[in-house]
Amino acid sequence: MINALLYLQWHSFRNRARARLRRLRQPKYLLAALVGALYLSLILLGPHASAPSSGRPPDIQSPAVSPPLAEMLGALLLLVLTLGAWVFPGERAALVFGEAEIAFLFPAPVTRRTLIHFKLARSQVAILLTSFIFTLLFNRHRSGPFWTAAIGWWLVLSIVSLHRLGASFARTMLMDRGITNWQRRLAVLGLAAAAGAAVLVWAWQALPPMSQDLWTDLPALGRYYQQVLTAGPLLWLLYPFRLVVRPYLAPDAASFALAAGPALLLLALHYAWVVRADVAFEESSVEASRRLAEKLAAVRREGSGLGSGALTKARRPPFALRPVGPPYTALLWKNLIGASRLFSSRFILALPVLLIAMLLPAVDLARRGGLSAAVGFAAALFCGYTVFFGPQIVRQDFRADLALADLLKLYPLRGWQVVLGEVLAPVVVISAAQWLLILVSVTCLWHGPAGPTGGGRIAALGLAAALALPALNFVLLLIINAAALLLPAWVNPARGSARGLEVMGQQLLLALGQFVVLLLALALPAGVFATVFFLGTVLGSPAWALVLATLVAALGLAGEMILGLLLVGRLFERLDIGHEQTP
Amino acid sequence: MIEVEHLTKLYGNIAAVHDLSFVGRPGEVMGLVGPNGAGKTTTLRCLSGIIPPTRGRIRVGGHDLGADPLAAKRQLALFPDEPRLFDYLTVWQHLVFTARIYQVADFASRARSLLEQLELADRPHALPGELSRGMKQKLVIACGLLHSPRVLYFDEPLTGLDPLGIRRMKDTIHRLAREGAAIIISSHLLHLVEEVCSHVLILHRGRRVTFGTLDEVTRQFAAAPDASLEEVFLRATEVSPAGADTPPRP
Repeated sequence: MINALLYLQWHSFRNRARARLRRLRQPKYLLAALVGALYLSLILLGPHASAPSSGRPPDIQSPAVSPPLAEMLGALLLLVLTLGAWVFPGERAALVFGEAEIAFLFPAPVTRRTLIHFKLARSQVAILLTSFIFTLLFNRHRSGPFWTAAIGWWLVLSIVSLHRLGASFARTMLMDRGITNWQRRLAVLGLAAAAGAAVLVWAWQALPPMSQDLWTDLPALGRYYQQVLTAGPLLWLLYPFRLVVRPYLAPDAASFALAAGPALLLLALHYAWVVRADVAFEESSVEASRRLAEKLAAVRREGSGLGSGALTKARRPPFALRPVGPPYTALLWKNLIGASRLFSSRFILALPVLLIAMLLPAVDLARRGGLSAAVGFAAALFCGYTVFFGPQIVRQDFRADLALADLLKLYPLRGWQVVLGEVLAPVVVISAAQWLLILVSVTCLWHGPAGPTGGGRIAALGLAAALALPALNFVLLLIINAAALLLPAWVNPARGSARGLEVMGQQLLLALGQFVVLLLALALPAGVFATVFFLGTVLGSPAWALVLATLVAALGLAGEMILGLLLVGRLFERLDIGHEQTP
Repeated sequence: MIEVEHLTKLYGNIAAVHDLSFVGRPGEVMGLVGPNGAGKTTTLRCLSGIIPPTRGRIRVGGHDLGADPLAAKRQLALFPDEPRLFDYLTVWQHLVFTARIYQVADFASRARSLLEQLELADRPHALPGELSRGMKQKLVIACGLLHSPRVLYFDEPLTGLDPLGIRRMKDTIHRLAREGAAIIISSHLLHLVEEVCSHVLILHRGRRVTFGTLDEVTRQFAAAPDASLEEVFLRATEVSPAGADTPPRP
């Protein structure tokens, strides 16, 4: 029976690989694959990828982080992961299968043990690939041979994977015996607390007391924690976890051979634990697989995993939509409801409190400088980041709605109206966030290091940014949406069948193209800005010149926005969904 | 009224629909039938303005779909085989949204009435994820009927409906036709076409095999006048050489 399952696994893998290779016959996929491969090889195999380099932060070979400490830190991380596997999940054991696998395998005469073996075999594909990538990425931080690192990673990942599965089976068995999730959590946390208390008591008795100066002397604080980690009860509490990480940290083949034995024994014990568990997972698996299928469908529809998944709670509309008025407002309204899933009601309730809490200490500390300036600069920096990262997070535009393009095409709307309705929601959300950050930044920097006379300049800068950013967001999102309409599969690969190396290349080419178009779009407004600012500075104060120049440049951008809207609207009207859906 | 003249839709060198012409008048229900890949869905998508035809002209309610798409689209509604809904809008929000798109000023009373008729009145705050497939289909119908379209296209309208839903769907189609709507139903369910439609258009490989009233089509292809549409369909699609607009009489 397992042969049939391995046959399924192998042929699925082979056919997927063949389909990807066939796709490379199309020039756009071939070019994208080449760019993706180049990028990946530069990241993974570049001159700085493998060899330890000078000027790096201290690693496990440096005196600051000695091998035993690295072993203890790794073991501590594994302990946290293990605790998480026993504390957080509350569901019954569920092996996630594809919908087709459930349809074919569950009614078939296949034993549970065979199904578990099938899942384990399949998880090995991902584990082997992850081990390879982790070795390439992290080998620079160690001095041992490549192969010991690869096997070390494989051991760590395999044991963690088996332990999580075994923990889920054990959890189900406990639930079947009437032990609730909270009883189990309390027991596990109680054990963890007892172990933590033992370490604290030991540290209290064995180590010198922590002085006040320790908190300001970071190296001394590091040495103190190193003592806690590398001596006393933690050394023994973490012993099984240390056995797991030890092969990866082995500096040479001989010590690896010594370390691999106990780790392999742990692996074998975990394997025996998992395959001997007789836990009914089928029903939960069907449910988990259904949830996964829904989540994937949502990702395909919306192009983003953020806020995706089965929706269970209706969102309050941002405003009451009247039946008569500009029809594109309906699309804005709809997309704002969609975007509100990014911000939970708890977050929205906490936002004003958070804002006041951020502003009050900032105002108080502004008189003394220091922290307020830091908060102000951080808010300004974050505001700058939102220009580029905001559109990647708030995707309630064509990138989300292209899967429903036939519905949009059915509406009695001009192309530009559809585009305006689609683009407005992310512009509104991102601009609102930016204005908030500008407010925080200006408030914090008002009495900052620039002194009292600098306040006016800071305010002018904030006002200029508040004027320019919405127009800039609009232009940027217009470009992104134009790309979505021109190359739907590139912008939202989850919709189609495109995956793999070529997708990475496509994203890079697309980002580059968008950057070039953005530069071209900004060239004229930037020229106008520079001219007006120069004249304003000569004739009046630089602060007002800045605001005036930004206003004029924003008007220029607005002109481009209208032109772009008409062009992208035409693009939408000409979009032939039939062609896009034809292979 | 739907007027289609020489509609052609090409995908590369492949003609999904080739030189199709017909007229659907108010009160007529036309069954669009054909084997898989005959071009039924492509035809419906062209007729509703979702995809542009490569050649040909389509007039909906007297408005040219190519020249004046907005006026034409205000007259029509398409009900796809798979309900297409926004995951994050509730039942009522879908109707509010549709009302704004189609500028239906008095939508509230009409929407409530449609929800009553379609047995969705008790689920106005439900998200699509909380609805069964049949209920989703009903919501699509409610949204489609909100702006009182004069031309309606149904793509496999009975998919996912329970027996009562099927009965009601047939009644709705009959009622809309009586009220003067021109209706096209694309379906593989020939008994539905036989029961509901006044006219039949058989497509095969993108080409029109025949078009006429049920009686005319039956006379054209069946030896006996009381032959079933299934018999007619099988003979029409088997004997017709692709490309022949009117196959020889059997």
